[in-house]
Amino acid sequence: MKRFLSPLIAMAAVGLLLVGCTTTAAPRGSAPVSGGTLVYATGDAEPTCLDPHVGGNYPQALVATQYLESLVSKNKAGDIIPWLATKWTESANGLSWDFTLRKNVKFTDGTPLNAEAVAANVAHLQDPATGSSTGYLALQKVTGVTVVNDLTARFTLSTPDSALLDSLSQPWLAIESAKALKRSQAVNCESPVGTGPFIVTKWVHQQSISLVRNDKYNSPPADAAHTGPAYLKAIQWRFLPDSASRYAALQSGTVDVIDNAQPDTLVAAKKTKDLVAIDAPRPGASNRIELNSSIAPFDDKRVREAFIRSADVNDAITSLFFGTAKRSYSALSSVEKLGISEPKLFTYDQKAAAKLLDEAGWTQRNSDGYRVKDGKVLELNFPVSTNQSIPAEQSLFEQLQATTKQAGFKVDLHPLDLSSWYGALGANQYNLVSAPYTKVGPDVLRILYDSDGTKPAPSGYFANHSQVKDPALDALLVRAGETSDQKERASLYKQAQDIILGGYYILPLYDQQNHYLLRSTVKGVRAMPTVSTPTMYDAWLSR
Amino acid sequence: MALPVAAAPRSSVARRWLPWLLLRLGGVVFVLWAVATVTFFAIRLIPGDPAEAILGGPGSQASAAALAKARADFGLDQPLPLQYLHYLGRLAVGDLGQSYALRQPVITVIGQNLGGTLLLAAVSLVVAAAIALGLAAWSAWGGPGASAVSSVLEVVAAAVPHFWLAISLILLFSTTLDWLPPVSIPGAAGLILPVLTLAIPLAGFLGQVMRESILDAMASPFVLAARARGEGSNGVFWRHALRHAAIPAIGLAGWAFGALISGAVVVETIFARPGIGRSLLSAVQQRDVPLVVGVVIVVALGYMLVTTLTDLADRLVDPRLRAR
Repeated sequence: MKRFLSPLIAMAAVGLLLVGCTTTAAPRGSAPVSGGTLVYATGDAEPTCLDPHVGGNYPQALVATQYLESLVSKNKAGDIIPWLATKWTESANGLSWDFTLRKNVKFTDGTPLNAEAVAANVAHLQDPATGSSTGYLALQKVTGVTVVNDLTARFTLSTPDSALLDSLSQPWLAIESAKALKRSQAVNCESPVGTGPFIVTKWVHQQSISLVRNDKYNSPPADAAHTGPAYLKAIQWRFLPDSASRYAALQSGTVDVIDNAQPDTLVAAKKTKDLVAIDAPRPGASNRIELNSSIAPFDDKRVREAFIRSADVNDAITSLFFGTAKRSYSALSSVEKLGISEPKLFTYDQKAAAKLLDEAGWTQRNSDGYRVKDGKVLELNFPVSTNQSIPAEQSLFEQLQATTKQAGFKVDLHPLDLSSWYGALGANQYNLVSAPYTKVGPDVLRILYDSDGTKPAPSGYFANHSQVKDPALDALLVRAGETSDQKERASLYKQAQDIILGGYYILPLYDQQNHYLLRSTVKGVRAMPTVSTPTMYDAWLSR
Repeated sequence: MALPVAAAPRSSVARRWLPWLLLRLGGVVFVLWAVATVTFFAIRLIPGDPAEAILGGPGSQASAAALAKARADFGLDQPLPLQYLHYLGRLAVGDLGQSYALRQPVITVIGQNLGGTLLLAAVSLVVAAAIALGLAAWSAWGGPGASAVSSVLEVVAAAVPHFWLAISLILLFSTTLDWLPPVSIPGAAGLILPVLTLAIPLAGFLGQVMRESILDAMASPFVLAARARGEGSNGVFWRHALRHAAIPAIGLAGWAFGALISGAVVVETIFARPGIGRSLLSAVQQRDVPLVVGVVIVVALGYMLVTTLTDLADRLVDPRLRAR
């Protein structure tokens, strides 16, 4: 044995030396220190393109937050604040908006930020050749942008859009250099050019993206902690898909920050002083189970309520998320100011569930204890996307399967890959489903519950999985999407949520989970209040 | 076969080898065609639209115009049989197409990643062989006790799944002992844990085969004869028993190659090492058809190359095979 072990020990010793060399000491202190390279490890998929105009998903938003900036942002209270635009005015009829741009801002290729650049970005997002989906959808009411003067851009709209500022705050609608956008898409995907605090220098596919500090940076959002260039000299953005090795890398100090931290690692991290957690729920919809109201048995409201009453969500969340997730009773994320919460509608009550099912005619039970009506078992098909539901959430569905069985529901869980999952939804072969949806602002309700959302898009995708078709709700959502009167808007969205929650179309679970873990030597990292992506602008290293 | 007519008068070697070589080549072409065809159609059986995969995955809410453009760009608007023929035609000239997700030529992606996987596989194979040989030698010299212990070690090693072994090694050497990086970093230190993860189960299999045949050989008459000629213990082991044991081990090479590549999918993902295993996994998840097919074809080629080489080695070692 010694014969082959000794070279291994020698190799291990060499390894030790190499590891020892990479950690260097730097002065400690409470005042921010400039310099150093931060290593960020993401568990999200590797983006296919670093320009978030192309496609437009969360992995792109995560990294683009470091080098691209938007016209407006949001503060912690949920109010829109200036960023690349210093002020904006809506015309009386709501069909045009004038944005005044910040002075003396330059893209990292040296071209100036001006109204022409904004117009070029909107045109780029609306050009089918770009292949934008998120940005394209957000700009549906925008007919174009005209240049009023060098620093004033006018957005013209087909109908008033109360969600325009929310939309423009998202990283998928960030402003890039017009000159850089003229390059081929392949080139722009590798090295997008923005006004942000860091610059993309190199992208080694399947490994990492290298970012260096933009030394001429002068355009932080209004709620940033400092002005001028970032503290960090560079960021190495690594792709570590496996959650266990990502956490191990953080523990050992190989990386400084990780995302997609799972409940078990969050609990473990709490026990050590070396690690700090940031809980940053994503905006838009809460994570919820949607009940398909278009087909039996959930076309009967009583059966929907019975299912919701018989699901013991709270105990399942406590046992599976170890206190890292808070129960939601809302259709919207807790970061949405206009969200309303209705705990009473969702209390766990097996007796009430049994009574409702009796009333709905599901009075018989078969030998397995499942309810039967006219020879049909009370069976529910639940396709589960293994890409979108984390392991803890999949276990939660299993626990709900067990508690709803007491009332007589037979829930069939089908774990599926993303493509097959969309296939099952497209074929309308589901009774229950859970799908996340990230978007800034309550307008997400229009996407998820307007009857238009039951019609599949050209790609076969539709967002209204509960298949709510209620003309009164549609009218409320359209009106809310147009009014610029904030009080009226809040009242309309409240009425809309009352219909959605009171109709038992959804069973809210918790906010869309989004946890970052950092080593305690990393200071000043915060999640953007827009889509909860982390920004490294204020970050510094105290090691 | 008309070719041997010209060559036959001069060389009997050509007469003996050429039919074998031609048959072998024909087999390679047939297997490649079959692999390409099965992969092409199998991946299209997965529900979902490839045009969506191009635009960032299913549910990307791509607009009708963007989808139409993607379909036209990648020829997905043509009927399936026509797409298949075009695809075969391109394959025939060595064009593996363009990756949907990475927006790079497939050949470039594979070129960038193949080296990392080959290095990992080669080092793992050497380490596995060394471990297996060590166990076999110990069994040969250490008596029944040693043989029993190594037998148990081999069975355990062979049964351990890669993902479990990887996480256990990380927990031990990174989290607890803090000796090695838990994820791959450039240089030798980053290679140790991935190599051990791949090598240990493989060593279990190789060890089982080699130990059996070495013990067989040590008990056989030719070893007794060698001893009678005055050959020492070392000489018997290295010159006679090991050579005997090498034949089944060489025969396992093709299988070992397959095991290493499939293990690389897990190992490269857990340790975040760039390589074609990781490329394959993400390509399958993203329905990146051209990349999946490209990797599968390259792996199939590698597999056939290895089996051809082992065949060749067998024919060189064993003259009886050449006569057939």
